[in-house]
Formats: sequence, structure tokens, C-alpha cells
Amino acid sequence: MARVSIKVNGKDEACEIKPRTLLVEFLRDHLGLTGTHVGCDTTQCGCCIVLIDGKAVNSCTMLAVQANGADVTTIEGLADGGKLHPMQAAFREHHALQCGFCTPGFIMSALELVAKKKNPTEADIRYGLLGNMCRCTGYENIIKAVKAGAEAMARVG
Amino acid sequence: MNQVDASSFHEIGRSVRRKEDFRLLTGKGHFADDYNMPGQAWTVMVRSPHAHARIVRIDAAKARAMPGVLAVFSGADCAADGLRPFNHNAVPSTKYDMKLTGPGGGSVFVGRHMLLPADKARYFGEAVAMVVAESREQAEDAADAVAVDYEPLRFLERTEDAVVPGAPAVWDEAPNNVLVDAFFGDHAATERAFAAADHVIGHEFHVGRIMPLPLEPRAGLAHYDAASGNYTLYFSTGGPGIVRQRRQFAAALAIDQEKLRLVALDTGGNFGTKNRPYVEHALALWAARKLGRPIKYRATRHESMLTEYQGRDLATKVELAMRKDGRFLAMRAENVMNVGAHCVSLSPLAKGAGLITGSYDIPAATLRARGIFTNTVPNNVMRSSGRPEVTFAIERLIDMAAAEFGFDRIALRRQNLIRPEQFPYTNAVGSTYDSATFEANMDLGMKIADWGGYEKRRQEAAARGRLRGLGFANYIESSTGSPRERAEITVTPTGRVEVVLGTQPSGQSHETSFAQVAADLLCVPIDNVEIILGDTEVVKEGGGSHSGRSMRHAATVLSLAAPELIEQGKALAADILGVAPADVDFAAGRFVSTRANRTFDFLELAKEAQARGGVLKVVKDNEMHTPVFPNGCAVCEVEVDPATGRVHLTRYAAVDDVGRCINPMTVDGQTHGSIAHGVGEALFEQICLDPASGRPLTESFEEYGMPSSTTLPPLTTEIVEVLSPTNPLGIKSGSEGATAGAPAAIISGLVDALKDFGIRDIAMPATPLAVWQAIENAKAGSQANNKARHGSWKWRA
Repeated sequence: MARVSIKVNGKDEACEIKPRTLLVEFLRDHLGLTGTHVGCDTTQCGCCIVLIDGKAVNSCTMLAVQANGADVTTIEGLADGGKLHPMQAAFREHHALQCGFCTPGFIMSALELVAKKKNPTEADIRYGLLGNMCRCTGYENIIKAVKAGAEAMARVG
Repeated sequence: MNQVDASSFHEIGRSVRRKEDFRLLTGKGHFADDYNMPGQAWTVMVRSPHAHARIVRIDAAKARAMPGVLAVFSGADCAADGLRPFNHNAVPSTKYDMKLTGPGGGSVFVGRHMLLPADKARYFGEAVAMVVAESREQAEDAADAVAVDYEPLRFLERTEDAVVPGAPAVWDEAPNNVLVDAFFGDHAATERAFAAADHVIGHEFHVGRIMPLPLEPRAGLAHYDAASGNYTLYFSTGGPGIVRQRRQFAAALAIDQEKLRLVALDTGGNFGTKNRPYVEHALALWAARKLGRPIKYRATRHESMLTEYQGRDLATKVELAMRKDGRFLAMRAENVMNVGAHCVSLSPLAKGAGLITGSYDIPAATLRARGIFTNTVPNNVMRSSGRPEVTFAIERLIDMAAAEFGFDRIALRRQNLIRPEQFPYTNAVGSTYDSATFEANMDLGMKIADWGGYEKRRQEAAARGRLRGLGFANYIESSTGSPRERAEITVTPTGRVEVVLGTQPSGQSHETSFAQVAADLLCVPIDNVEIILGDTEVVKEGGGSHSGRSMRHAATVLSLAAPELIEQGKALAADILGVAPADVDFAAGRFVSTRANRTFDFLELAKEAQARGGVLKVVKDNEMHTPVFPNGCAVCEVEVDPATGRVHLTRYAAVDDVGRCINPMTVDGQTHGSIAHGVGEALFEQICLDPASGRPLTESFEEYGMPSSTTLPPLTTEIVEVLSPTNPLGIKSGSEGATAGAPAAIISGLVDALKDFGIRDIAMPATPLAVWQAIENAKAGSQANNKARHGSWKWRA
């Protein structure tokens, strides 16, 4: 067993876990944060993306022990009670989700993208989301939502 | 059917933002893998490493002795416990389905889908044993240690190989591996028309095998309560819905369906693959009883891609007879569906059979439709099942005819379209189309695609060394589906309108769009309406979500239930007001009487009902068989880099006649996804098997061409609302249609871009290699580019 201490959505979580535990398993199985999803085994679908110290990372491809001491944000950590984060709100407004399975990963990727570039172009967004797959939307409304979300985030500073 | 008065609608037709979104955006959804229980054990399947092999012996002694292992079960154990094969209702049987028969007109033998086969593995990856252990890792390790002796047999991938005399038999009961051989249309009239024709064009197409690939792999948690004998399965599903799946699972487990509860709340995509039950879910339920533990299963992506029901795989040989002025006279088609190792659905073959003549007035046609077993994953419905295949054939054939005989491809289509005044129109194979304005669709599609500006864009691309092409396709599809639906509406004293329905969404926004309908029919605020789905504790009847049925069936049964609830309200209001029920009106959402001052809306009345010990509630069943025919067109512009063969989609426009549109935002959204499926099929997606072993080579997203944010173009879509006369709200269907037209439009554009090389066809998927090869072959004067991926498809009777 290994002891990890990870800050998740602002809360310190300390646990004894098997060393082989993946970060996504730690989040889903140990903390019950099931908003982070697993859609593949090859680090390609992006459903499991979370922010680790602000960086978008596939949580299925790193061990929980590698995140020891890190600050992790998951989809559960974005809304303020009943008030959606501007990026979440933009996804709703622009109908950027249908089944919703890939959505958390897209939003976390979008947040990293906007952190890197405040006003991304359509091309920036399309290339920035290459690590996320969606089978429902044809990406059309996701692109629009990320653009709108970035603008909304710029407005609120 | 009487139409509902639409004048008072204020929610229907509006892009209402979704009720589903808050939970899905905040990580609070309930997907299949989100369920866990204390004390749960895990199951992992032992899968066949052969595409076709006799199971000689299964030795699980070593596996059973491994740490944490609770049990290993095989097909023999299933048989000993009386487990039965799944009944997939594979042969479409509603009133208006094309009637498929076995060879010689007999019944169709569909194979047996055993939960675990005891005799043979019939495709690579088929589960032959299950391991249950304390942890998933222990179960995985033990599954590797189960020793299975196989006697490998020759395997079949392609239908043309399966029907050759001497080919191995997938099933002994199906000689030559043929399960369906059916004929449709007027043979004599068609032959006469062909004999009299000035032009005949023919071609063979193969619309390849692809995967629906929802992002959510299948998973489930099975629980058995020994005290009550009740089973519960928490999972995600689609298509037939939990009502039918409950019957199917119960039958396979040989238990009373009243003892089984299915819970499927959020489903992470479906596109057809979750439309039939999976053995792992049934086996988990069975093991939960045998072992007295909750059993969890979660497929890896690799497993999903090996074993999830697949789609398409239709070979078609089509011929079109024409007069010299361009008028279509007759059509002949021979369609062959590769059903896989056992048959879970013939819907693609039947659906396509009814639509071979497309949107065109073709007086005579014949079709031979065959279904063939092979050693491949069972082939199921996939988004717009059957329609993209036949749309591809007729639309590509028209392009070819235009090129071959010197017609303008647009004018040729216009000349032969079914005209609005011809509806209802019965086509040459017997399908009766309800309503459409095909030529207006074309005009709108060409307008939003800026057809007129194309030539300038082509020249501009040519200056950059790129070959630009413009593609076009019309489509018509049929929405049928399970005929029964039930609505249960309760107005609660707390001010909620609870609506229980038996559909099974996987992203189609039912909680929002159905609420729009209920709100308008009952004149209540949409925020007060709650749509309840996905749990057999409350959902007792209903037909699920497939074949574009959900909105049409839900809205129809709601429009029948609402008047009954209003009558109840009138009776109650009359009672309270002390007037006769006939003196109460329901106007602008309020129960009013000229003989009293008090008035009530539904929510106020529900409180009064409670005070009097009653409840405002209605349960309404409806059965509706008549199909509807969504239709539309697609315009696609492509650019080809002749040096690399890379195809870049630069513009894409689609027009979809969905009948009455309840929520344009969600319909447009589904159209986008629908286009994406067609793009994938046309350009990227393909299941490849190792020809030597039958092992799939497309086992992960690394090998399978999923469309991405950079390979899809911006999408321009327009909704057309030609109301269907077949149901009260005039609904047809959204979501699937755009998939039907997309492959034909894209390949049409690609061939247009390459026409100067003399290329008239490209097999799908048109990968850079395939396109580059076609260009190089054309330059070298070879005709090889006209051959399909697996070689020219040859018909063998």
C-alpha cells in the first residue's frame, strides 16, 4: 500500500491505496468523483482529462502516486453550488453536449486551452481539442461553446 | 390521424436549453460504470483467440486456484442451469416492415446467441467462459489462466466467400450460410422496362463494416436479493428500451420478468450498438445469484471494439434503366448483408429494401435481399441502419449515369424526383412515403451551400494546386420502430407534472423535448414538467429509442393522454365549483366556468385533488404502426491534395425534413453528429481483419479512424418542416437522416474532384492511401482504382 495526499477540488485527500491505482481510479473509486470518465485504454478519447496544477492530463494514464502533493481539479470542482462555471454554462447555452459522457474531459481541456490563450481562434480550438473525442456532436457546437466560454471567462476576468 | 391545433404552442418549436445538462456538466450523471455496491465482485470474460473454432475442452483448475477467484463458468454451466439463447427479435415484424424470408420463402434461421457457447466460437473475441473474482485485476489474471483447447476451423469474413459451395458452415442449420433470401417488386414489369430502355447503368458497391462506437464502453452492476429472489441490473442501454430488454434478459435467464429490475439512467452514446442485449449483463445477473454477491462488469475499450455489435456491411449490385431523355424507368438491385456470426437484427436489410428507389419516381423495381452468416461480430443496426447503404447506391448510380450519358447530375435528379402532389407515394417495392418536398430541399441545400459560388472556389483551390470537388446527394429514410408506447402523467400536489415514458435516450434530450410537448399540451410551465425514464420500477411499457421513433411516439401518446387528463380536471373543477362538468372549460391553461368565479390551473387543481383524497393521473397506451419518411439532401465540398491523397472537407451543408421540429437546437445538434458518422464512414472508418487469422486489427482508437475536431468541417444545417399526416403533431424524425445522405455526398464530391483523371468511383473509406493510389493508377492508365477495397465484388448465385 502507498500513502497519497492529493488536493482535489480544493480539499486535501489523504488515502492508503495500492501502488498500481491509477489517478482516475483514485478519483472515481476512492473519492466517488464519477464525473471523470474512462472511455478507452490508449490515452486517446480524453474522457478522463482532469487538471493537475492547471495542466490537462489524462488521469487514466498516470498513477495516483504520481499526483502525490498535486492540486487536481475535476469536473465536480468547477460549479459554484448551483452556478455553472462560464465554460460549463457555454456548453449548455450552445448545446455542446448530448450524451454527456465525453463532456467533462472536453471542459477540462477547454480550460487549459483558454489558460494558454485567452481568445482562441476556431483553429486554435479545433487543434487544442484533438485529444478529446466526441461521437454525438460532430464537434460543431463544442467549438462554438469553447469560443463563447473563453469570451465569458475573459469578461469575468 | 387528427392533427393537434398548434396555434397555442409556445414551447414546441423553441430551442429550449436542456434539463439534462446541469447534472451532466457537473459530473453528476449516472452512467453504467458509476454504480458500485459494498461487497461487489468483478467478472471478466475469457474470449476466443480464433475467428472460428470448436471448443474441445475448458480447463479452469489453475484459474480457480488463483488469489481472489470466486468462480469460473463455461457454456456447459449455462446449459446445466437452463440458461437460454437471447431472443433478439431479429426479423422485423411490424405491419409495414418489408417481409424477409429464408431461402425458398421459409422462416429465417437466425442462429443461437448463447450466453456462453458450448460448441464453437464463431468470431474472434466471442466470450467462451467467465471468471469472477474479488477484484477486476484478479479476474483479468485468472481469465488469462483459463486453458481452452480449441480446434480451429476455416473462418469466413466476406459474404462472397461464405456462399461458395464447400465453404465452412457457421451454422449447420444454414446451408451455404444463407439465412435470408427474399424477392421484392414486379419482376416482369422491371424486365420489360429494362428491355425497352435507351440507357442502362450498373455498378457494384460495398458499404463497409464500421463500428457505432459510443464513447461509453458497456458496463453494468448486477445484484441479486436472495430473500426476495429479485434481480437488479444497473447499466446503460438504448434501442429497445428497458421494457423489452427486461423481457429478453428474463427469458435468457429463465426467470419471471417481474423478478428483474433494470435501471439505465444516463447512457453515454449508443448509435445502435446498445440496441440488443449483451451476454455480459445477463451473465453478471446469473453469477450474482449463484455467488450471492453483486457482480460488476466493465468492458475495456479494446473489448468494446472486439465485441460490440457492429454496423453496415452491405454489398449491393444495382442497375438503373433510363429513357434517352433522362427519365428513370426501372431499377434492379441485389443486396447482401453480412449478418456476422449470428443474427441479432435484420433491420438494416429490411429498411434498406424498402428504400432502394430513393427519392425518385421509378415506376418498376426488383430487389433480391440476402443475409449471410460469416465469422464476424454480429452486425446490428447502426445509426440510420440500412438507409445510408441504399442511398449510397442510388445516389452514386445517378452521378455515374449523368457522367456516362451526358446529363447534368442536378437536372437529372430534378427530372426524376417524386413531386409533392404525388404523396402519399407508393414506391416500386411497396413503401408508401407520407410527405416531402424533395425539390425544395434541393434548392435550399444548394442555396445554403452557396452552390453558385463553387466555381470561384474551385479555381482558387486549383491555383493552390488543390483539386476541389462538389458533391450532392438526396436521401429519404424510414422511421418505424416498436409500435407501442405508454404515457403516464401525474400532476402532483407539490406542483410537478411527472411524465413516465418508455423511450431510452442516449443523448437525444428527451427530458427537455418531451417536456416541451407536455407543457404545451397541458398548458403548464415547462419547468414544472419532469420526464421520468429508465427504471422498470416505474416504466412498465414502452418501445425504447430506435428507428427515429421516440419523439413521434412520445408526442403522439402524450397528445392522446392530455385530453383525458383535461377531462379529469374538468370533472374535478366542476365538483369543486358545484357546476356540471359540461359547464367547465379548459382555456389558456385554466379550468373556468361561466357559472363560478374561481378558476384553477393544473397545479392548483392537483392540490384540490389531494385535499379530496384523489389524484390527477392518466395512463394512456398507444399503438402506431404507420411509418414516416424523413428526407433531405446534403452538399459537400472537398479539396484533395493530389500529392498525398489527403481529402479535406471544406464545406458541408445539410437540409433535413424532420416533420414538426420540437427543439431546433437539439435537432440541429443531432444532425451535426449524424453528419459526423457519415464523414467517418466515407473517409476514415473501417474494420480490418487479419486475413490469415481473422483477428481484428482495429482494436483501439489508434487503429480505427474516428472523426476528430480537425477532420470535420464547419457544418451548415437547415431544418425543413413538412408535417407528416400520420400523427397528431406531424412529426417525422431527426437525428438519423443526415447519416443517410453523407457518404454519398462526400464520395460524390471526391469523385468530382478527381474526374479529370477519369476516376468514376472510389471505395469507402477514401483514406489518403486509397485516394493517392487511385490517382497514381489513373495516371498509369490502370482501371484498378475502380475496384472496391476487397476487390471487385462479384455476385455469385
